Amino acid sequence: MARPFLKVEGLTKVYPGGVRALQDVSFEVARGEFVVVIGLSGSGKSTLLRCINRLVEPTAGSVWVDGVEVTALDREGVRRLRREIGMIFQQFNLVRRLPVLTNVLTGRLGYVPAWWSVFNYWPPDLVQRALDALERVGIRDKAYVRADQLSGGQQQRVGIARALMQEPKLILADEPVASLDPATSHSVLRYVEELNRREGITVLCSLHFLSLARRYGTRVIALKEGRLVFDGPPSEIDAHRFRQIYGEDAVEVEIA
Amino acid sequence: MTGRGLRLGVVLLAVAAFAYGWRVTRIDLGELVTKAHLVRPLVRDLLRPEVLERVPRTQEVAVPVALGGPPPPLGAARGPRVEVSSRSVRVGQEVELRGEGFAAGRPGRLLWRDATGAPSQLAEFTTDARGGFVLWVRIPDTLGDRGELVAVVGLPQTVWRPSETLRLVAERMVETVFLALMGTAMGVAFAVPLSFLGARNLAHGPVGLAVYGASRTVLNVFRSVEPLILATVFAVWVGIGPFAGVLALGVHSVASLGKLYSEAIEAIDPGPIEAVEATGASRLQVIRYAVIPQIVPQFIAFTIYRWDINVRMSTVIGFVGGGGIGFLLVQYINLLLWQKAATAVWAITLVVALMDYLSARVRERVV
Ligand SMILES: Nc1ncnc2c1ncn2[C@@H]1O[C@H](COP(=O)(O)OP(=O)(O)OP(=O)(O)O)[C@@H](O)[C@H]1O
Ligand SMILES: [Mg+2]
Repeated sequence: MARPFLKVEGLTKVYPGGVRALQDVSFEVARGEFVVVIGLSGSGKSTLLRCINRLVEPTAGSVWVDGVEVTALDREGVRRLRREIGMIFQQFNLVRRLPVLTNVLTGRLGYVPAWWSVFNYWPPDLVQRALDALERVGIRDKAYVRADQLSGGQQQRVGIARALMQEPKLILADEPVASLDPATSHSVLRYVEELNRREGITVLCSLHFLSLARRYGTRVIALKEGRLVFDGPPSEIDAHRFRQIYGEDAVEVEIA
Repeated sequence: MTGRGLRLGVVLLAVAAFAYGWRVTRIDLGELVTKAHLVRPLVRDLLRPEVLERVPRTQEVAVPVALGGPPPPLGAARGPRVEVSSRSVRVGQEVELRGEGFAAGRPGRLLWRDATGAPSQLAEFTTDARGGFVLWVRIPDTLGDRGELVAVVGLPQTVWRPSETLRLVAERMVETVFLALMGTAMGVAFAVPLSFLGARNLAHGPVGLAVYGASRTVLNVFRSVEPLILATVFAVWVGIGPFAGVLALGVHSVASLGKLYSEAIEAIDPGPIEAVEATGASRLQVIRYAVIPQIVPQFIAFTIYRWDINVRMSTVIGFVGGGGIGFLLVQYINLLLWQKAATAVWAITLVVALMDYLSARVRERVV
């Protein structure tokens, strides 16, 4: 690999309560990869993703994104970094009482003057881009509906459109389909996959189901109790590896 | 001491405290019966508020006159008329008045109304069989350079009209509602910024935490001061009247709204905040797009609720000099004017019930 796009080195996170959520995690990701993070609940997947855009402050170790040492940035630096990293959440995290369009536009907040927000001002070209983003995820007609009027799958597509507005070079998706039914899960993940394939956006996505990881990931990283226990192509996860990651009693469930 | 002994001790102590309390507060249930006759007239009067009053219907004709100037213009009049021998007069001059078209054989009064509108009686008369009268009066010593001669003739019929008390009560009731509104507005103006500073989930870093602690302390101190005491202090400070009431309610509202607001902020979903922060938004933008949309409904509901409470509270605050209906009520009570007091009490009850209903409806709508 030439210079890696994302580099995580010796990353450790100890929460104030003393929980060691990540322990000495290191890996590298090349530009354009679709990396799926798997692991049991509590294994540290969310913590790992949040350390990359500093929503969580790492205790030790370092993170580089596109040649920038994230862990060394000051407040303003972190803000600039976050502008270029889209994030998608399990609970969608839309502002429920705001229209879909405004939710999408918030993806652009890092680039517009702060005082515009006092008047909720958005220039027409950004509004047009937000509408285009909604068009891409197939819900252009919902632009002026309140976000909480949408179904779960539609809300997650708004979440993707919001990330799209950032024109990100990296997307962090934290269990983006864990609240959705199987069919909707696929339709949402296909949008993420399309962004990855067509625009070359690097994706780091945590998923519950190994079947989804196999279907969408170009590479899989597995965490267990905060440690990296697997890093390789999805095809290498056989029954033995599976038990290593998920525990001796685990049975693999398929998702259609 | 054993468990049983301890329990016995506690029971004995409770009995002693109760007995002592009974004595110092001079509880005498018998008085409720033996002195019932004292309260009867009061209760009766409370059930008969002065709402309407019966007044005789009158015929009234006013003729303007000038003192040492050209006679003022006369309005066109229908019905009863009064002619004055001269409408350009001097103080002390005698003028002749001829009235016609009034009710026949009724008592009448002739009044002088000076430039300020204050009336004084000059003469009494009775109309003749055809409804006319002739009268000589002397122009009295007066303020200003004009006045009116007013003939008022009483008719046999009477009319009901809102009583003077009702008008006064209504006026003070309106004052009270606005007093509560201004107090609430003052509370909102200070409580909104304080609540943001005093919300745990928005406090970041050591400075943020220090500001959070300071705001919380301010709110707690304000809240621990009784509004009645505040009102007394402000009545001394700015004088008895509605402004003292506004200040007292305002300070109290800052504290209670500040607490409710900051609790509303603390209860919001952190997800959208995290999501907006993750886009690289600044603090101001995060507050505008992720915090405010989540709290606006509660803020509106709490504010209306506070206004409702403030209307109630302002009646009590009026008792100690805070203006509004409460101040009027306590004056009536001190003068033993129970029927007038009853009018005020009923008005308060009505308005409070109405506010209660309306605020409940509005809260249902917004939340
Ligand atoms: N803010 C926090 N404070 C203290 N401990 C935390 C905090 N967030 C997470 N943890 C702990 O850190 C560990 C890892 O949590 P994390 O949320 O990263 O796991 P996860 O793999 O995302 O789990 P899940 O699949 O349930 O989302 C868990 O033991 C969790 O209890
Ligand atoms: Mg998680």
